[in-house]
Amino acid sequence: MELMKSENIVQDRQPQPQEEEEIMQQEEEEEQRFHVLAVDDSVIDRKLLEKLLKASSYQVTCVESGEKALEYLGLLHHSSPASSSSQHHHQGHKVNLIMTDFSMPGTSGYDLLKRIKGSSWKDVPVVVMSSENVPSRISMCLEGGAEEFMLKPLQLSDLHKIQAHLLKSLPHS
Amino acid sequence: MDLVQLQRQLVDYRTSLYHEGFLDEQFTQLQSLQDENNPDFVVEVVSLFFEDSERLLNELSKALEQQVIDFKRMDAQVHQLKGSSSSIGAHRVQKLCIVFRNYCEAQNVEGCLKCLQQVKHEYGIIKTKLESMFQLEQQILNAGGSIPV
Repeated sequence: MELMKSENIVQDRQPQPQEEEEIMQQEEEEEQRFHVLAVDDSVIDRKLLEKLLKASSYQVTCVESGEKALEYLGLLHHSSPASSSSQHHHQGHKVNLIMTDFSMPGTSGYDLLKRIKGSSWKDVPVVVMSSENVPSRISMCLEGGAEEFMLKPLQLSDLHKIQAHLLKSLPHS
Repeated sequence: MDLVQLQRQLVDYRTSLYHEGFLDEQFTQLQSLQDENNPDFVVEVVSLFFEDSERLLNELSKALEQQVIDFKRMDAQVHQLKGSSSSIGAHRVQKLCIVFRNYCEAQNVEGCLKCLQQVKHEYGIIKTKLESMFQLEQQILNAGGSIPV
């Protein structure tokens, strides 16, 4: 990891060596944590999901629609962006897992799933969530490449299943 | 009323909400997510639920007043209400939404009108009860006590 030169820090005063070290430590910790992109049109479910994920020590970005998710992933205007590294770094964003609601207006969770699986983000595990237990919907999502289908409301115990998928997706040294 | 009495009153009140089917397990899940870093988590989520529900109930009322009723749109809105009530454990409201959706699907205006009235009624009750519970919790905190689990 590159050492931060004090000229690169934009601020009113020069940081003390101790503060610089703390900033570096924080950024390193963030780099090491898994980053989850959470997609849900319900403000309540977004808040819940964010809390569940943070309580499990994940870094979280919440977006309110499939379109916003595609925008975040750089998939909105191009059909296939430049190839990404195996660590799922892209456009400066690192995403280890995508969790999306199924029923959303506009771009549905399923639409989002298909777009992701047809892009350079295809190796990122996608979990689809729904409040409805519809077998045909579940098999459609799994066949579409979803890692897991989860029933809402999610609980902390559900997050354990997710951890297994994340560990699986880690690059081998 | 002293602190111990307040705490007992809270526990009894909370227990009754579960026994009478106003709240379900999901509310307990919400409470378990609250901690010192996020001491107002439950109040925040429930406040979001109140705002969201009132918006949806208004839209549903307006939808049923139209000359031509958009059942598909109504169904989507009831689906939203069902989802959010389920997410916070508002059990009775959630159950009524299921019935409401059936009437939307059947395009039954009378059924929808009746259901809307019932949902509004149940929503009003759970709102009052949760607000009372939060007030009781605040009284305990103000008295220097902690909220019993």
